[in-house]
Amino acid sequence: MVQLVGSLRKELADSVSDCNVLVVGAGGIGCELLKNLVLTGFKNIEVIDLDTIDVSNLNRQFLFQKKHVGKSKAQVAKESVLQFCPTANIKAYHDSIMNPDYNVEFFRNFMLVMNALDNRAARNHVNRMCLAADIPLIESGTAGYLGQVTVIKKGLTECYECQPKPTQKTFPGCTIRNTPSEPIHCIVWAKYLFNQLFGEEDADQEVSPDTADPELSYTEARATASDQDGDIKRVSTKDWARSTGYDSVKLFNKLFKDDIQYLLTMDKLWKKRKAPLPLDWLELQKLGTILALPVDFFLSGTSLKDQHVLGVAGYSQLFSRSVETLRSMLADKGDGAELVWDKDDPAAMDFVTAAANLRMHIFSMNMKSRFDIKSMAGNIIPAIATTNAVIAGLIVLEALKILSGDVEQCRTIFLNKQPNPRKKLLVPCALDPPSANCYVCASKPEVTVKLNVNKTLVLALQDKILKEKFGMVAPDVQIEDGKGTILISSEEGETEANNSKFLSDFGIRNGSRLQVDDFLQDYTLLVNVIHCEELEKDVEFEVVGDAPDKAPTPPSSQEEQKNFANGNKDSAEPSTSSNAPAEQDDVLIVDSDEEPSSSTMDVSTESGGLKRKLHDAETGEASAKRQRLDQATADDDDDIIALD
Amino acid sequence: MAATKASKEQKYDRQLRLWGDHGQEALENAHVCLINASASGTEILKNLVLPGIGAFTIVDGHKVSGEDVGNNIGRVSNVTSLCYTIVISNPCLHNRAQAATELLQELNSDVSGNFVEESPDKLLDNDPEFFHRFSLVIGVQLPEGTCLRLGSVLWNANVPFLVCRTYGLTGYMRLVVKEHTVVESHPDNALEDLRLDQPFAELKSHIQSYDLEGMEKKDHIHTPWIIIVAKYLEKWFSDHNFQLPKNYKEKEAFRQLIRQGILTKENGTPEDEENFEEAIKNVNTALNPTKISSIVEDIFNEEQCNDITAQTPAFWVLARAVREFVQNEGGGNLPLRGSIPDMIADSEKFINLQNVYREKAMQDASVVSKHVESLLQSVGKTSESISEQDIKLFCKNAAFLRVVRCRSLAEEYGAETVNKDEITSSMDGADGEMVLYLMLRSVDRFYQQHSRYPGVYDYQVEEDISRLKLCVHSLLQEYGLNVNVKDDYIHELYVWPHVQLVIKIITRQFVPFNNTFIYNAMSQTSATFQL
Repeated sequence: MVQLVGSLRKELADSVSDCNVLVVGAGGIGCELLKNLVLTGFKNIEVIDLDTIDVSNLNRQFLFQKKHVGKSKAQVAKESVLQFCPTANIKAYHDSIMNPDYNVEFFRNFMLVMNALDNRAARNHVNRMCLAADIPLIESGTAGYLGQVTVIKKGLTECYECQPKPTQKTFPGCTIRNTPSEPIHCIVWAKYLFNQLFGEEDADQEVSPDTADPELSYTEARATASDQDGDIKRVSTKDWARSTGYDSVKLFNKLFKDDIQYLLTMDKLWKKRKAPLPLDWLELQKLGTILALPVDFFLSGTSLKDQHVLGVAGYSQLFSRSVETLRSMLADKGDGAELVWDKDDPAAMDFVTAAANLRMHIFSMNMKSRFDIKSMAGNIIPAIATTNAVIAGLIVLEALKILSGDVEQCRTIFLNKQPNPRKKLLVPCALDPPSANCYVCASKPEVTVKLNVNKTLVLALQDKILKEKFGMVAPDVQIEDGKGTILISSEEGETEANNSKFLSDFGIRNGSRLQVDDFLQDYTLLVNVIHCEELEKDVEFEVVGDAPDKAPTPPSSQEEQKNFANGNKDSAEPSTSSNAPAEQDDVLIVDSDEEPSSSTMDVSTESGGLKRKLHDAETGEASAKRQRLDQATADDDDDIIALD
Repeated sequence: MAATKASKEQKYDRQLRLWGDHGQEALENAHVCLINASASGTEILKNLVLPGIGAFTIVDGHKVSGEDVGNNIGRVSNVTSLCYTIVISNPCLHNRAQAATELLQELNSDVSGNFVEESPDKLLDNDPEFFHRFSLVIGVQLPEGTCLRLGSVLWNANVPFLVCRTYGLTGYMRLVVKEHTVVESHPDNALEDLRLDQPFAELKSHIQSYDLEGMEKKDHIHTPWIIIVAKYLEKWFSDHNFQLPKNYKEKEAFRQLIRQGILTKENGTPEDEENFEEAIKNVNTALNPTKISSIVEDIFNEEQCNDITAQTPAFWVLARAVREFVQNEGGGNLPLRGSIPDMIADSEKFINLQNVYREKAMQDASVVSKHVESLLQSVGKTSESISEQDIKLFCKNAAFLRVVRCRSLAEEYGAETVNKDEITSSMDGADGEMVLYLMLRSVDRFYQQHSRYPGVYDYQVEEDISRLKLCVHSLLQEYGLNVNVKDDYIHELYVWPHVQLVIKIITRQFVPFNNTFIYNAMSQTSATFQL
């Protein structure tokens, strides 16, 4: 095939065909990117993706066809690309980039790494790996018509984690279990319920009434607990469900009648709130078919089935049907098997739709359509081929600059929905230098954490603070107490016994310093501990100087959060493979319609628009950019963590 | 049938969330014609086939030849079409149109693909009406002459025409459409249509059904903020001569008035009433006076709105009907949009309030519908020619109507009618996108004269550069443009945003650019011009 020397300088054309590049993600952006790379003359490409192909990918991930559904994205992408460029040397991995096999040495094999990812955890990780290996990284994302590309080079530019991202929205466990006040609380509850019944049980995902609600006085909680809580509580939800043979009527009555009646006995909760109304299966069925009709049946016109809101009886029947389907799916998988929640699995989605709506009804909220619940439960970011094609094209152009040795020429480029007031659709801005205080790319990263040393377990330090908050994969922790006490070891079995002890048990107190290492990420972080007795309700720890108040414009209304949803989660599909990382269960904290009908648009976009204008006037560029960056990443990892 | 619908819903889920099911329907009813299945052409079509346009027809008389392979690949830069590459690398396939059609078809079985192995010039000679059938025609890398001929055929038939040209790392798109009307423009900063400043009768009586002072606490904290604002607005009106709070100071005073309404606990501290907080937060936007935007006023004043004939497109009949409504039953206001935002409230109160707005909107729409009917009757058409669904959608979006009109290609290219001002004023920055426009036009001239692009053959580079310079000068001279074009503007080609635009045109949602888009991959910027 003819070389590109005609349009690329000879030296550049040579380095394009000689260099090794890594593409992380073979989804929406990944497919377009792979095509662009081989057609530009890149010959040695490795691509990694842990996902399998889903039907909803086919509207844009053109390397996949219907017959490929269920297969590895990376593998099929490779095969499809080889069909039209047989001379390319492509290596495909059906795996998570966070797997320790892909260590710093692995990353050093490449001239260049290109991210085509959809979640923040993996982005954080690749960011660190590229910093550790000192390999330039091109980061990208799209959401609907919006898109963004930027370049990260150690020591020269900001890294992915230099700017604090708006913190993840968490809901207190008692809000989920006792006093939901927004649809999202019910949706989170329904997803927990799915896992409790059919999936992996997680102690942080309890769904039954919570007698330890801080709103209840001590004695009251004790009294109710001993009166009625007796036997039932000791049996896990799953065991109980199994013992009934997943009898959908029994399940229904327990979840939507008995548990609600039990909640009603905690009368302190309902003094200021509207009390929930228990539902009874039989009574609902007696009401018959009228209530099963869509509420908006007569208004609905031609809109699709998924966009209707059914009546309560309709959802009770949907609940029953989906439990039946899931029960047999589980049975087919054999003993001890578990189901993984997936928004694109019809039965799983039906179950969450039904359970969430029944609970919304019980707590006097307006029920929502399956379409809307899907976008909230599944963190769906709209996606189309064209935006991905634009962004993938821009990635290659940045790659060419890097290969020509012109990293200084690289830019962050934003793709707008409409031409901006200066008539530009694509807006390039200069890259910012690294932030001196970044807890990832600074020369000696350091961070200060406020927590209660008497109440924080070592396990919580490991899972919630080091892994979840600071994005480490396998941390080792040593206390700087002069003795070098090892608190956590990444070697299996070495420090497991410490997990259930409190930090204070190891002499950690106000002012203690912990040295945390992640050997995979080649990353060392010094953690200063500040002991604090008075953290906000349901907050386990606080990172000093982090927090959303430092972020430029924290979302303050539901509508703003909706805007923030316009982020860069391209292929929002959860992994359909078994080794799905935790963030695949993200729940997006947006209010409702993803569909941008005029009525859901709100003036709150003004703040964004204003900043963008500022930026266009080439003033306040940094703030404008940050605004957008935050916007672009706010969506993708709003994990819901229940705090008890 | 139901099964296919469900599977489509699943396949297109991510895009339905952008343009909705009626947008998808419009897309599926569209028939797009692509002239020249070149690299950029097939890339455009690929991105239309994936989201599921109804049908496409490729018009291309080119045979696949070895030289073709060399030329195109050589010039094509980093973004070319997969299909195209397959086409030209497969020696069994001889005709570009057919080969590209088959390969594109593979991407989505819902799409019907057709091809015509004929050059556009031949079709224009023998059967110019051939092009009338399409929802949109995309012409890629068309020589200037063909472009102008086709442009005038399509202009007269009112078929949108998208001219695309890529060269080196630059790209050019020109939308040519006499008139493009948009009902769903998806504005970014739309305000809710709540009518709090002039509540309609049903809303008034609904507001009166609330008694904030007399109600129980449980109801007080579940009263929708719209009611709260309306209640305090009544108070405000009586003290302020029926004037809305206008400036910051007055709005702040109004917020304070609401704040005072928050219940207090026994110990004197205020209760935690989120609905009141919501009301306070919404004061700014909820109190905007209800009025018709100048854009919509202008649409009402258009000639098409005045002279309704049997040929008048539905958009204008609807616009006229809405105008009648505004002038009569609406009392100066557009039909009510009928939606309210989500808010803190118990379902009963929320649904009741929602129904008040909804029902009023339906009433308004049915009044508009009567106007539509009589307008249609007056020109001898049946009322079925515009569906209830369309009337409702139109009423709902009445505040956001847009009309885009482009200049014709003939006007842009004519020495008398060229938009000198836009060109000269955009030439301020020496490296602006306008330079690229002039360059691309000059390259066109080069092609017209030499039947090939400059720089194709290595041995001719030097000669080509001076030839191209001549083209630039003659272009500038012809248009009497006194601008300076730097010599170093010969680069590579790039393709893409065409499809975004095509979808805007087909779904009639969002507002397309008017009328020229230039992409500069060297600096990764782009600009739009009105030429």
